[in-house]
Amino acid sequence: MSHIITLEQLKKTLADKISSGAQVVAPTLRGELAFFQKIDDVNQAVLEPRVRFQNSIKEFFFPRHETIFSFVRQGSDVQLVDAPEFDVEQIVVGARPCDAASLPILDPLFAWDYQDRFFQSRRAKSTVVVFACKTSDAHCFCTAVGGAPDSTNGADAILFALDDGSFEVRCVTDKGKALFSGKTQESDKTGAACAPPSVDFDVEKIATWIRGNFASPVWEEISYRCVGCGACAFVCPTCHCFDIVDEGSYSKGKRVKNWDSCQTVLFTLHASGHNPRATQGARQRQRMMHKFVIYPDKFNAKLCTGCGACSRSCGVSFGVRPALEELAKVANQSENN
Amino acid sequence: MENIYMPDPMEVVEVKQQTADIKLIRIKFRDPEKNANFKFNIGQFGLYSVFGVGESTFNICCSNSKDYIEFCFRKTGRVTERLWDVEPGDTIGFRGPFGNSYPMKEWEGKNLVFVAGGIAMPPIRCAILYALENRDKYGKITIVYGARTVNDLVCKDELDEWAQYPNVDVLKTVDVAPPEGTPWNGRVDFVPTVLKDSNITGDNAVALVVGPPIMIKLSLPILVEAGFKDEDIFTSLENRMKCGLGKCGRCNCGSVYVCKEGPVFTQADIKNMPNDY
Ligand SMILES: Cc1cc2nc3c(=O)[nH]c(=O)nc-3n(C[C@H](O)[C@H](O)[C@H](O)COP(=O)(O)OP(=O)(O)OC[C@H]3O[C@@H](n4cnc5c(N)ncnc54)[C@H](O)[C@@H]3O)c2cc1C
Ligand code: SF4
Ligand code: SF4
Ligand code: FES
Repeated sequence: MSHIITLEQLKKTLADKISSGAQVVAPTLRGELAFFQKIDDVNQAVLEPRVRFQNSIKEFFFPRHETIFSFVRQGSDVQLVDAPEFDVEQIVVGARPCDAASLPILDPLFAWDYQDRFFQSRRAKSTVVVFACKTSDAHCFCTAVGGAPDSTNGADAILFALDDGSFEVRCVTDKGKALFSGKTQESDKTGAACAPPSVDFDVEKIATWIRGNFASPVWEEISYRCVGCGACAFVCPTCHCFDIVDEGSYSKGKRVKNWDSCQTVLFTLHASGHNPRATQGARQRQRMMHKFVIYPDKFNAKLCTGCGACSRSCGVSFGVRPALEELAKVANQSENN
Repeated sequence: MENIYMPDPMEVVEVKQQTADIKLIRIKFRDPEKNANFKFNIGQFGLYSVFGVGESTFNICCSNSKDYIEFCFRKTGRVTERLWDVEPGDTIGFRGPFGNSYPMKEWEGKNLVFVAGGIAMPPIRCAILYALENRDKYGKITIVYGARTVNDLVCKDELDEWAQYPNVDVLKTVDVAPPEGTPWNGRVDFVPTVLKDSNITGDNAVALVVGPPIMIKLSLPILVEAGFKDEDIFTSLENRMKCGLGKCGRCNCGSVYVCKEGPVFTQADIKNMPNDY
């Protein structure tokens, strides 16, 4: 016995949430490009599974630009005003499984010793509904990092698109059940995801190679394919490095967190001029180490869901899958020697 | 929920210019209760804000027995440029204390060797002041401190005060001889050379070495030769930081987050870390 929701019922469910004051985030189209975006009208949403997005759902949990507090100078004193806490219900619908999977990966980082309320309050207030994938492309490699086209990791519910435009609903958490309770009909139809994307490299083997090869010339070699723009980090659902800067004037302004990327030369540049990661090779190495060695060491999870967004967006056809494929070659070679 | 990125407003109590581009600032929490309850360990650091300009990372360079915080900074960039102009009575921001600290308890009963160059005085000053306040708990104290010229020495007056304590050797040196007629009671040599001549031994001793990479590089073999083991040689790393909280992903050397697991490391730790500092 399965549970089915029609497209109309799904739209009505979201429309009711919007009217009740919830923030609803859904796939939208601008021309041919798809974006996750906050919608005010359910008809803006394009409710069908899709592989290629220009952004990930990360920004609704960890915004690209977020005020942490504001300040006003009064004589020699300074008044600090805390940023308001995120306090509305948020429904994210239509995420890919590899988008949702980033959320539990990021949880321990923002709760490691110091509790980051900015991420945590959004997380607590959100319900995430994924669409099981119907197709994959050459950039996808979720299978290499423990994911799958029907993975429910990080999801509160998963919807399988059926041929007649309706969806089979499988609730994963109480939040998912609460969202769909009373909205579905019993049925004997079931949905299925596409076949898992095929990969011919072994991430564990590559991680082992990375551990032993900090000084390898391979890092410099692969970095010739990268222009250091940082786009890959901005589209990535798991990249979370950020900058803290002040905006405004000396008398009145705010402090903000902005997304940053380890691929830019300024990221680690000291005021003295010394830069521990002065070459693109050192920066590519940091990126691959952070994802496949450092984060697993610290938080017991790979910092990559295999979504392929980085290489899909890279202006020079690089990104993490191509980098893994290059590293797999040397890892295999060194194993055979 | 608390906002971990929110600094506390601090009153600037005193500003002491040290060199042409280094100042030492004393601050107190504007909130008296916070000021009374504030605690830190020797070797920890903080993030200091000039509101509207930004935040910078500095060691807390005083001892932890006081009801104030002192830090010492070199004017090098945007934030420090503006910090240079603050005066007593002004408000700046502080977040901290962050990071690990020197094992002052474990060091009790041992001889202490401090080696520093230039602006790297703050990360050793806190430990020196603490050790002097608890003089009977530590053995012989040797301080080797150097700067480019006499005018670049930080805490110049204090160096002479420290030398007055029993069983404390202060070996000052400059790279460049002062002009004829300038009073100078130290040496003209590089720090490692002075360290070599100092008769220190690694028996029942620990060394804390901070300063420019070249000074550290040349000092280490001298310490090793004097019998210091890698576990007994400490340093404080200065990777660029933003959050200080293990979140922003900026300060790591491999799997070690300098802001949380550092900034204090032994030479043994550092040999196990990738060279990313
Ligand atoms: C743990 C630790 C302790 C430190 N202790 C001291 C000290 O006691 N005295 C002192 O003079 N300096 C110290 N530094 C270095 C000091 O933080 C930088 O010199 C300072 O941040 C430069 O700030 P700026 O804004 O003027 O420079 P800018 O070049 O304008 O830098 C912009 C931003 O980059 C960052 N940044 C630049 N250089 C460094 C650097 N070397 N280390 C960390 N962040 C950097 C800061 O976040 C700064 O806000 C310490 C650094 C660390 C990590
Ligand atoms: S891999 Fe591509 S997207 Fe990422 S920094 Fe390099 S050029 Fe930019
Ligand atoms: S590194 Fe690339 S493939 Fe991995 S999660 Fe980030 S964008 Fe997706
Ligand atoms: S300074 Fe942000 S992680 Fe260490």
